[in-house]
Amino acid sequence: MSEPMGRFTAVNTISRGLKEAPILRQGLGVTWMFAAVGALGRVVVPILIQQAIDRGIIGVGQVDLVTILVFGAIAAVSLTVAATCQRIAILRLGSRSEKALYDLRVRLIGHIHRLSLADHNEQRRGSLTARVTSDIDTLTQFFSWGGLAWLLDGTLMLIIAAVMLSYNWVLALTAFFVAAPLVIVLRVVQKRLVVAYERARSHNADMTTSISEVVSGARTIRAYEAGDYFAGLTRAAVHRRATTQIRANIISAFLFPSGEVFSVLTIAAVVSMGVWIGPAGGLTAGAVVGFVFLAYRFLEPVAQFTEVLDQTQTAVAGLRRVMSVLDMPIGPPEAEITTDLPAGVLNIVCDGVTFAYPSRLEGRMESRLLDDAVIKDLNLTIPAGQHVALVGATGSGKTTVARLIARFADPTFGEIRIGGVPLHLVANDVLRTRVAVVSQEPFLFDDSLIANVRFARPDATEAEVWEVIGTLGLTEWAEGLSDGLWTVVGGRGDVMSAGERQLIALIRVGLINPGVLILDEATSSVDARSEVEISRALASLARGRTTVSIAHRLSTAARADRVLVLDHGVLVEDGTHAELIAAEGPYRLLYEDWMRSTRSSSPDHLDQRS
Amino acid sequence: MSSPVQQGRFRRLRAAYRLISALVVLHPKLFAVALTGGVSFAVATVASSLAIRWVIDNVIIVRFDQPPLAGSQLLIGLSLVIGIGLLRSVAVVVRRAFAGMFQWRTAETLSRSVAERFLRQPMSWFQGRSEGDLIARAGVDVEATVGVLAPIPFATGAVVLLGLSTAWLLWTDLPIGVVALVAGPTLLWANVRYQRRAEGHFTAAQSHLGDFSGAVHESLDGVNLVKAYGAEDRETRRLGELAAMVRESRIAAIRLRATFEALLELVPALTNVSLVVVGAVRISSGDLSIGQLTAAVFMFSLLVFPLRLIGYVLSDLPRSQAGWARINEILSDPVLDDPRDQILEAPEGWGVTAVQVGHRPAPEIAPTLRDVNLDVRSGQVLAVVGATGSGKTTLIEVLAGLRSHTGEIRLAPGPMAVVLQEAFLFAGSLRSNLCLGQEFSDEQIWTALDWASATEFVSELRHGLDTVVGERGVSLSGGQRQRIALARALLRRPVLLLADDVTSALDPSTENAVLENLRVHLSSTTVVMVASRPSTILLADQVAFMRDGALVEQGLHSDLMTRHSDYREIVEAFETDRQKSGGSRAKRGRDE
Repeated sequence: MSEPMGRFTAVNTISRGLKEAPILRQGLGVTWMFAAVGALGRVVVPILIQQAIDRGIIGVGQVDLVTILVFGAIAAVSLTVAATCQRIAILRLGSRSEKALYDLRVRLIGHIHRLSLADHNEQRRGSLTARVTSDIDTLTQFFSWGGLAWLLDGTLMLIIAAVMLSYNWVLALTAFFVAAPLVIVLRVVQKRLVVAYERARSHNADMTTSISEVVSGARTIRAYEAGDYFAGLTRAAVHRRATTQIRANIISAFLFPSGEVFSVLTIAAVVSMGVWIGPAGGLTAGAVVGFVFLAYRFLEPVAQFTEVLDQTQTAVAGLRRVMSVLDMPIGPPEAEITTDLPAGVLNIVCDGVTFAYPSRLEGRMESRLLDDAVIKDLNLTIPAGQHVALVGATGSGKTTVARLIARFADPTFGEIRIGGVPLHLVANDVLRTRVAVVSQEPFLFDDSLIANVRFARPDATEAEVWEVIGTLGLTEWAEGLSDGLWTVVGGRGDVMSAGERQLIALIRVGLINPGVLILDEATSSVDARSEVEISRALASLARGRTTVSIAHRLSTAARADRVLVLDHGVLVEDGTHAELIAAEGPYRLLYEDWMRSTRSSSPDHLDQRS
Repeated sequence: MSSPVQQGRFRRLRAAYRLISALVVLHPKLFAVALTGGVSFAVATVASSLAIRWVIDNVIIVRFDQPPLAGSQLLIGLSLVIGIGLLRSVAVVVRRAFAGMFQWRTAETLSRSVAERFLRQPMSWFQGRSEGDLIARAGVDVEATVGVLAPIPFATGAVVLLGLSTAWLLWTDLPIGVVALVAGPTLLWANVRYQRRAEGHFTAAQSHLGDFSGAVHESLDGVNLVKAYGAEDRETRRLGELAAMVRESRIAAIRLRATFEALLELVPALTNVSLVVVGAVRISSGDLSIGQLTAAVFMFSLLVFPLRLIGYVLSDLPRSQAGWARINEILSDPVLDDPRDQILEAPEGWGVTAVQVGHRPAPEIAPTLRDVNLDVRSGQVLAVVGATGSGKTTLIEVLAGLRSHTGEIRLAPGPMAVVLQEAFLFAGSLRSNLCLGQEFSDEQIWTALDWASATEFVSELRHGLDTVVGERGVSLSGGQRQRIALARALLRRPVLLLADDVTSALDPSTENAVLENLRVHLSSTTVVMVASRPSTILLADQVAFMRDGALVEQGLHSDLMTRHSDYREIVEAFETDRQKSGGSRAKRGRDE
């Protein structure tokens, strides 16, 4: 678990990738054979020229037209066969890689959805989205160009080398010898190029951040008249991006020409050597001319290859990022043998529960664990049907306790049981219908009200939805909506007020019949009148259920059967509202603060009203 | 029949010309050098095939036909091949380096212009525009626009190369030239046709990918919900269906590409075969040398890539034009009047005066603020109270000059600070977020943090004030962000503080401390703040009660309580709430 993730070599990463996407491996050999036959097409013309010079045409008036035509026909047929094979190879590789990437995408989404919520909060959500979209897309880029080049050009170079050797081994070795330093030159250029591209990419990200802040932070920038300051920052970021891109470009500008330089040097060497050997060594003019062509074709892929290498590196980096997500342990794993929950309302027991975020524990001594724990040795029994309020300052751990009870994460030590069954033995789909979590800053999909509500239970009928709305006392409100249940809500279009969004979330929970209800109270207030409406609906929802409220407001705590006060992860007080007020402990202090702040009118106003 | 098509083609060409010439004038020198490189490359390429021909005819064939060969011939041949090859390489380096400079400097100019335009437009300009779309215009759209620029010098060189090589082939031998002449345009035609057809698939794939990314984003945004309802599998299946659409449209594109790639190999190769066959006949009749034929074949092989490049440029053009159009929409939009400029100076002794102030987001929409008359004395605190949608935020933003207004607003001269509902933090350090380009001492900063009750958590951060808060302040909690935003305002010791519901993300005891600090340390500051908790109202000297975009009354809290029942309801919601629960508790107590 604590092993650093994502530290694979390129080879490891690729073989992992092949393992994760087995469809890529299937038939790879056949694809390669097609690619190889396709690549053979490229040596047809040089061979034809050599044969034509050596056999068909020796000089003026000596043309053997039949031979030339026969050779021409053979060449045309083999070229057509090669092209067909090439088409098949591209198609096979391309469609298989798309299928593999699709599999990878789906697996990745499934995995990300199963990650612990702790990972969702700590990792930037945007970067997880990027894994599924842009990082996998670098692989698409690779497969449509680079992968093909590996398959086609690599084979091609081998074939050309073989043809050269068969013509004349001295000339062939001469060509290889002269061309060899190119590989070293390209490696050097390419290494610098990778660094340059990496810098360009990071400056590109900075630029995007800078520009997006100019837009998203527009209000703040204007409120503080900081326009000139941000213009300066953006200008600098944009300039740095351009400069680093240009630097990378200049380095890459040397890639192709270095191939060119080595080509002419190789041609010169081959011609010199050919002329020096002369016809004596069985060498023919056609073979020398053929060599000139082959030398060119031999080095062509080398230069292309360096560009492919860069693409490959990008793809491997992308793959590595994808793999590192797949390697993140998924959130609370489902037990292999699950236990059924008893029917009806459920009690909750926390037994020595300690929780610390895994990422904050890396490399820490065990003894320091308690210092970093968000929840420390919590022991607690909540009888079935009780309404409990969790109270405490920001960061006291009240949200974490609720999350542990909902099993969004497992305790580092200790155990939580509901209805007598340890949480980790409850099947996930059972748990989700028996323990409901209502956030009062709810998330709505950009879809209709009914679609959002049906997220809880896709098979719920319209009548059932209306029934729940009725139970919660929201019929009037729902009937007043422009398109009734089909009103589009959610998304960034603020069709619904904050209060209405909460109401929708409550209807959503109403569709399932949970035995435990966990309420995460909103931190920011909606207007006071909707507040009353919401609390009424909430009360009817909580009736007869074990309810755990994360109380940001003490009025909620005062309403609960029992109040639990947390401070830095430790349960410091436990009792009814009245008991804790009488105890004059931390709760009393919090409550007095609250009382003072809500004493908005003196008694005589009340008298006047009544 | 062909005339409308022709017209369409010309229109496209004209549009392409307009786009390129509009971009070239931004950095003409870089473009000129790149273009010179491109044309030199073309000339050197033709020359290189000439050199090959010379070497074959005067060195290789001579050597194998009549054994004695003058060393000088070989030397000339080799220096020709190497020299021209070097020339060609230098041309490539020049072309690519300068084409890159041209491309990225143009991108820089465009991105900068767009971003600067964003900064010059007042807030009202942003209304009704999506953030993502605007960001794309300075980023993705700019990249799309300049995408076509880099290959242009090469493509221009390729056109020159095409002309020169055709001329040379025709001049060398008419039949050979004719064979080559047929193949060239065939390839170009296949290229253009392929790009057109493939574009449909690519566009489809791109838009499917957009849908997919959007859905993934949404699904991960709502991951709490997905987990709460155990909908992981369902969501994965739903997103998988979208991913399958991406896959299918891409496979369709690949099918097309596979055919095209094969043709692109096959056509030149078959042409070369024809060249050899025709060339053999011409050699036999003494009209052509072996060197000439070989050079023709060599030349033709060199043409394949440039031809392909012309196809790329043509296929990239629509994307660039779309990007350019979107950039121009921003740049050609006139800069709106800054509402701030219409705010006047309040007379001595007054913090804010407003006469008949109104706001209408757009002509076709009903006003969200109507006939507001306000007077706040210097140093006084005014709480703005109202139900959701009553115009509280609009009032604050109008006073802050973030929205246009009708009527007359006068504000006390001197530094003004605005704390908005959403505490926006920038990606830099905490310090840069607090200073926003102004100079403040550490002491001043810590004082402001202290007033905002932020000292404790800031001093616990590993790098203190130099902690990088991450994009949009993701590393801080909501309450912490809001306290930083508050400190940012207080740091400026403003004469006027406009605040929109700033304390709502704070827990009650922190809220009390912050409000107390405001009262004690900024007693001379005029404050207008939206209040959604009774505690905030208690701090105020006066209350402005809003209903449906209008000011119902500005007055004392106690007066408003007696005069307006709906005001009383809003303010007492918490209090009645508490009494009710107290009552039920008492009852339960009795029951037990």
